[in-house]
Amino acid sequence: MFDYTKILELLKFNADDPLFFNSSLFLFLFVGFLLFYSLISHKKIFRVASLLLFSFYFYYRSGGIYVLLLLLCSLLSYTTGILIFRSPAEWKKKVFMILGILANLSVLFYFKYTNFFIEVYGNFSGKSLQPMDIILPIGISFFTFKALSYIIDVYLEKIDAEYNILDFTLYISFFANLLAGPIDRAGQFIKQIKQDFVLTESYIGRATFLIMSGLIKKDVIADYIGLNFVDRVFDDPLRFTGVENLMAVYAYALRIYCDFSGYSDLAIGIALLLGFRLMDNFNSPYKAQSVAEFWRRWHISLSSWLQDYLFKPMQMSMRRMRIFGNALAVLITFLVCGLWHGASWTFIAWGGIHGLLMAVSMFTKPVRDYFYNKTGLGKLRIVGVMRTVITFHLIAFAWVIFSASSFEKAIDVYSQIFVFFHSEVFMQFVTAMPQIVILIALGYLMHFAPARLEQKCIELVTASPIVVKALILAIVIWTAAQVRSADLQPFIYFQF
Amino acid sequence: MISKELKQVILKELKLDDFDIQDETTADQIPGWDSLNHLNVILAVEKFFDVRFSNKEILRLQDIGELQKLVDSKLAGK
Repeated sequence: MFDYTKILELLKFNADDPLFFNSSLFLFLFVGFLLFYSLISHKKIFRVASLLLFSFYFYYRSGGIYVLLLLLCSLLSYTTGILIFRSPAEWKKKVFMILGILANLSVLFYFKYTNFFIEVYGNFSGKSLQPMDIILPIGISFFTFKALSYIIDVYLEKIDAEYNILDFTLYISFFANLLAGPIDRAGQFIKQIKQDFVLTESYIGRATFLIMSGLIKKDVIADYIGLNFVDRVFDDPLRFTGVENLMAVYAYALRIYCDFSGYSDLAIGIALLLGFRLMDNFNSPYKAQSVAEFWRRWHISLSSWLQDYLFKPMQMSMRRMRIFGNALAVLITFLVCGLWHGASWTFIAWGGIHGLLMAVSMFTKPVRDYFYNKTGLGKLRIVGVMRTVITFHLIAFAWVIFSASSFEKAIDVYSQIFVFFHSEVFMQFVTAMPQIVILIALGYLMHFAPARLEQKCIELVTASPIVVKALILAIVIWTAAQVRSADLQPFIYFQF
Repeated sequence: MISKELKQVILKELKLDDFDIQDETTADQIPGWDSLNHLNVILAVEKFFDVRFSNKEILRLQDIGELQKLVDSKLAGK
């Protein structure tokens, strides 16, 4: 007798087992949904309704009762948008915008930062305070940021308010970018909901490539080097020499890139199959020649969000202070960026380091430009390579604080690298962990490969017959499943 | 249509000899106009035309054509 209860159990909310894009359950549900969607997608109302139902189920499966919070956030932002849009007086528009922002931020602060501030208050006052029993709703930092950008864009009259409640709710809750972005803008996304459904050869080819790339980055590279190497070293840095700690720093930089950009590739690929083009989120970030350029290539949907809705308003308010206003605005923006990533001092310090590096770079830029112009060194390719190498190391060393469970752990990593290096261990490390070394080398090779190579691969996949596409995808899924550890590793950015 | 004066202010602030600036040109298409230099360009425009923009007026600008319209509206209101 077939046991239906087991299936129901599998489909029910399970906080310990969120619906990852690389899980078999998601693959099964998504393929089923895609078949159904292709039958009904010619009619807009069916398309939107089915996407909403699937999205809310997707959120319920990972977030349980918090699905109501997602609905509340959507309704609240929908109403705020209309109130701002319809108010004739400027002061009323402003009041509604502030109320909408405060409502969304209150939700975010309550769930994400209450216990952090209780701890901070306890430490400063010397009182022993018990943390509150608050569970962080998955993806809250992402969907509240989508709502905030919509409210501010309506206030700035960059877009009109959306009157169709289903279209707006789909913008906030679309499952592909719901849990970890990209943080799409309403102006670009809602326009696509209203257009007719199109699934071109180019969409299918690009989606197939992105899904393959996402699975390889996440399952084959990020999880393997993370579980088998990085975690072991970072859990107890003092047990390892500087060589292993330095290799773990390089491996972590690759791991976090593959983990998060792999997730983004899957999200963008899945959305493409449903006819939606999401924002690009990564553009070979470690090729950057400065920290500022890194942020134009890393988590682009968040960095452009912070630039448009936090940095620029502060910058313009302080424009009479010129470069000092710019520096202060950058510093505050990156402290907030750190705090956005998590309620902990290590995240704030990480953001502060990035802000400081950029502020220093602003003040030294005229001198550097003068030097490069006078000597002509700025045009040399080798100088560009040196800039990339230096920028990469600044970012990789800052990741140590980001990844560390405490400042002590981060200091242990640095101290092992600078005072207990033992270069003779390097060959032993290579012979003892050849798979790790090969994967790190392969990962960086893929990352630093020319962009036209990736474009060529996409064109090849697009031009191949559908059977070949399916076959390649099946081989990648099989390979990923072989490499994957018994327990699926959560995407690092899910915790934010 | 972008006025000769506005174009000159922008080119001078960004130290450019020449660049084709149209209504639909966006800041990121003009060499050197990054998020940090944005402030210098706005200050230079305010100073040259002797006008003052509110934060909202600046933040809602999407292209140079809109900046031209904003300058024109400020000059007309003088």
